[in-house]
Amino acid sequence: MDEDTDDILNNIIDDDDDANIQMTPAELIQKMEEIWINEKFAPELLPHEQEIVDLVLSQISAMEDNVETLPSADFKKGFYQLEIDRIRFVVTSYLRHRLEKIETYVLHVLKEDEEREEAYLSEAEQQFALKYKEALEEHFDNATMFYPGLPFEDWKSNFVRPNMNSFVFLKAKSNVEGVVVDRGQGDDNEIVDIKAGSQMLISYKGVSDLIKKGDLRLI
Amino acid sequence: MFGEKAYLLIKELDRNRDSLPPYNTELLSEIHNEVKQLVTENQEDANVSEQSRLVENVSYVPTLKIRHAAIKRNIRCILAYHYNRLKCLKTIRWQFGSILPPEVKANLSQAEIDFFSKYSSSLMQYMRGIGDDGGVNLAVNLKPPKSLYIEVRCVVDYGQLELSDGSALLLKKNSRHHLPRTECEELIRQGVLEHVV
Repeated sequence: MDEDTDDILNNIIDDDDDANIQMTPAELIQKMEEIWINEKFAPELLPHEQEIVDLVLSQISAMEDNVETLPSADFKKGFYQLEIDRIRFVVTSYLRHRLEKIETYVLHVLKEDEEREEAYLSEAEQQFALKYKEALEEHFDNATMFYPGLPFEDWKSNFVRPNMNSFVFLKAKSNVEGVVVDRGQGDDNEIVDIKAGSQMLISYKGVSDLIKKGDLRLI
Repeated sequence: MFGEKAYLLIKELDRNRDSLPPYNTELLSEIHNEVKQLVTENQEDANVSEQSRLVENVSYVPTLKIRHAAIKRNIRCILAYHYNRLKCLKTIRWQFGSILPPEVKANLSQAEIDFFSKYSSSLMQYMRGIGDDGGVNLAVNLKPPKSLYIEVRCVVDYGQLELSDGSALLLKKNSRHHLPRTECEELIRQGVLEHVV
């Protein structure tokens, strides 16, 4: 099945990688699945992978064009259609998870993005987040401003933050040394080395940088 | 006791976990009145405290603190009520699309209707901006597709349905069809078709 997909994809792709990323289609879909699962299980918003999403979307539309040229009686057409649907599901699920995180943690996400150099939000997401925040603020102000002189409620200062200490399953792709495991009680910090290919359950706080860099992936 | 009505508000939310009950304007206005009363009493007592501090050393600070805590609690409950209704509203948007069925609309306050239209339009703008041509509708494919064609049964009399390859189907009540998934998903969500396992 994968070889058939590769055949179809290789027939249409000449050089659509204008960016510096050079990947075969199979690798691209693999990477898409990986960032999808990472985004699903990470408690906070991860850096956006807009280029990969764009590449996958253009692949999907190319695949659709190709499938239409097949004769309708060919039973393989159903399989290709199903493959297209499943890839589209991965992309939409990835984008939906990100939207959900943006909506829940909107104040936190916007504040962090200002302080960071490389924004985690793409531009479309930034606009969405700003509009959503304005709509929320207006609605809450409507609800609470019914009398002058109320204590101005500090819902804006005490906003919802993602739980960085939640536990995640991860799998190491390469050898990692020196991961600090925070016991949480005083300075009882262990330093752990992780071997390539091993799987473990660990608190998210210690490994967040490594996940963003790509040495570890969540499962 | 202070805060009892706010507690009733939250309990009402808890009773209807995933659906939106009618916007409880009376209970909210009762809570507003309670808060206003507390605030005015507080302000009076604060003034009295200030003025009489030098003369009699009368201090109403503990009373002020209790009232302040009650005010804050009431406001928190109000905010929680509104926020949870918004959450419910968002789920409805993802299920039904941007047009609200009239039964739901009757349960919303004006502010919630405004919020819904703003949320809907910013969502549509985001979806239009993702793909290169026309954007990607994120509301389809909510579950991973397992097969291409699915068996559906029509629940209500819908009439003619035009499929993407041109053929037309007559959807009468209780008729069964074997259709591609993409055509049916919208109608299943609206409740016209029913997925037969």
